[in-house]
Amino acid sequence: MITKIKRLRIVRTNSTKLKYKLEEIIIIFFLFPALALFITFQVIPTLWAIYFSFTDIALYGKKLFEYKFIGLNNYEKLFSDEIFWKSFSVTFEYCTFSLLLRFTLGFIAALYITSRLFKGKAIIAGLLIIPYTLPGAVIPYMWISMLDSRYGTLNKVLMLLGLPPQSWLYERAMQSVVMVNCWSGYVLAMLILASAIKSIPDEYYEVCEIYGASRLFKFTKITLPLIKWPLVLSLILIFKEDIDDFTYVFILTEGGPNYRTELLSLYAYHKAFAFYELGAGCAVGLIIMIIVFLLTLAQIKISRIM
Amino acid sequence: MNTRRLIRSLSEPSIEVIGYVVLFFMIAYIYAPMIWLFLTAFSPKGGPFLEIPKSFTLENFAIVFGLKKIRAGAAALSLYMHRWIVNSLIIAITTMVVTVVTASMAGYALSRLRFRGKSIFMVGLLVLGMMPTIAKLLPLYKLCIMFGFINNLVGAGIVVASGIIPVQIWIMKGFFDHIPRELEEQAWIFGCSKLEALFRVVLPCAGPGLSVVAFLSFLAGWGNFIIPLILIRTEPLYPISLGIAASFIHHPGEIGLAVPYGPLCALSLIYVIPSMTLYFIARKYLMQIKLAKMEV
Repeated sequence: MITKIKRLRIVRTNSTKLKYKLEEIIIIFFLFPALALFITFQVIPTLWAIYFSFTDIALYGKKLFEYKFIGLNNYEKLFSDEIFWKSFSVTFEYCTFSLLLRFTLGFIAALYITSRLFKGKAIIAGLLIIPYTLPGAVIPYMWISMLDSRYGTLNKVLMLLGLPPQSWLYERAMQSVVMVNCWSGYVLAMLILASAIKSIPDEYYEVCEIYGASRLFKFTKITLPLIKWPLVLSLILIFKEDIDDFTYVFILTEGGPNYRTELLSLYAYHKAFAFYELGAGCAVGLIIMIIVFLLTLAQIKISRIM
Repeated sequence: MNTRRLIRSLSEPSIEVIGYVVLFFMIAYIYAPMIWLFLTAFSPKGGPFLEIPKSFTLENFAIVFGLKKIRAGAAALSLYMHRWIVNSLIIAITTMVVTVVTASMAGYALSRLRFRGKSIFMVGLLVLGMMPTIAKLLPLYKLCIMFGFINNLVGAGIVVASGIIPVQIWIMKGFFDHIPRELEEQAWIFGCSKLEALFRVVLPCAGPGLSVVAFLSFLAGWGNFIIPLILIRTEPLYPISLGIAASFIHHPGEIGLAVPYGPLCALSLIYVIPSMTLYFIARKYLMQIKLAKMEV
C-alpha cells in the first residue's frame, strides 16, 4: 500500500507542471458562466438604465427611438415633485416596519425551531416554512379575501372578539400591505438564523449550564455574538427584498388611496408606464439603487466594527 | 431561599407557556388566509369570501385540466389553464438547471482559488446583485428583444436565474468552504487530477448544498411574476403566476364578483404543490445553509 502511494507521488511530481497549471486555469474558468449570465442580464441593463435616466426617452411617438441627452433635467423635475417626496417617506415607512416585523418574526421562529424547550420541532419547522413555498402571485389574492371591509375573514374575527371592524385596504392600507409582506417574508430570516444557531457547538451551552448561567445570559453572551454575521446578512437580504417590492402593493392597493402606499418602485412604474416618461422612471430606479448601495455599504461597515 | 425557588419553579414553565401561546398566534396568522384557498378549491360553489361548503367535489380540478367544461353562464375562463402549468414547469426547471450548474461552479472556484481582492469581489457581487429589478425593466426588455427571449419560456428562465445567481453563489461557497480541503488533497495523492477529485470527491459531499440551491432556484423560477410579465406576451405561454393575475380581474383592493373562484383556487393549489413537495425533499438540507464568512 505504502509503496503504491509512493509510486503515485513520484508520478505526480514527475508529471508536467503544465497539466497542473492547466487545471488551475480550468477552475478559474468555472467562474465565467455565472459571471457572463450575471453581467449580461443584470449589470448591463443597470448601466443602460443609468444612461436612460439622463435622457428624455419616452414611451410615445418618436421619442422612444430618438432620444437625446438632457443632463440632470429629469432629477430636477423629480425633486420638485411633491408625490416623489411623499412616496419617498412612504417607502421609508414601509421598509422600516417590514424590516422590523419580518426580522422579529423570523428570529422568534428560528428560536422555536432550534430551542430545546419546545417539542415537535420538525412539525413546527414544517408548518412555519409553508408561506415561503407559496408563489408570490397567489398571496395577495388570498389576502384580499381576508381583508375585505364588509365580508372579509379578518373583520369577522374582530367582530367576534367584540372589536370594531376596520377598513383594511383603505384607512389602514399601509398596515395591511406590511402584514401581507411579512406573511411570507419572515421565513428568509428564519432559515438563515436557524441554520446559524444550529451551527453553534452544544459544548458552549453545556459549559454554561455547569456554571449555572441563566437563559438570558446564554442568549446574549453566546447565541447573539456567534450569529452576528448571519444577522447582518439576513437584514441586508430582507432590505433588498423590501425596497423593490412591487407585486403585493401593485395588486393590493396600486399606490393606495391618495398615494398612501405609493412605494418608490410603484412610482417608477407609474412614471414610466402611466405617464410614459421612461427617463424619469429610470431616474427613480437609479435613486432606489443608490439607497440600496449606500445602506449595504453602511451595514457591512457597521458589522465590521462589531 | 424558599420563595426564590418557588418563583423559579413558576417562572420556568411560564416561559414555555408564553412561547406556545405566541406560537399559536403565529400559526393562526400564517394559516388563516390559506383556509379560504383550500375550502374554495374543493367546493362546488366557490365565492370570494370564506364560507364552509356543504359538499366537496373535485370538479374544479377537472376544469383546470380541461377534462370538463365550465357551466354555462360562468364568467370567461381561459382554456389554457393546463398549459400554464407546463409553462411554469419549463421556466422553473430552466432556472434550476442554469442556477445549479453556474452557481456551483462559481462557488467552487471562489472557495478554492486565492486571488487578490477576492473579498471585494464577493461583496461587489452581492451589492450588484441587490440592484432592484424594477429599475432595469425597460433595458432588460430591450436586451431580451435582441436575444429573442420575448415569448420564450427558456429565455425567461435564464433571465430569472441571472437575478438570483449572486446569493446562490454565496450559499454554494459556504457549503464548499465546509468541505475539508484535506479530502481533496488525499484524492490528489492517490492520483486523481484536480477535476477528477472535484467530480468524485467534492461534488458528492456537496449534495446538500446542491439540493438547497436547486430548491431555492426552483422556487424563484416557479413563483416569479415580474420577468414573465414583461417577457411573455401571449396567453397560451403564460406561466401560472401571470395566468392567475390575469384571471382575477378586479380593481385594486376590491374583489371581483364575476370570477370563477373554484377553478382558480384549484389552479392556485396546483401551483403550490410542486414547491411544497420539493421542500419536503430538501428540508433536511435547508437547515444546513452555512453562509460563507464575509472576510471584508
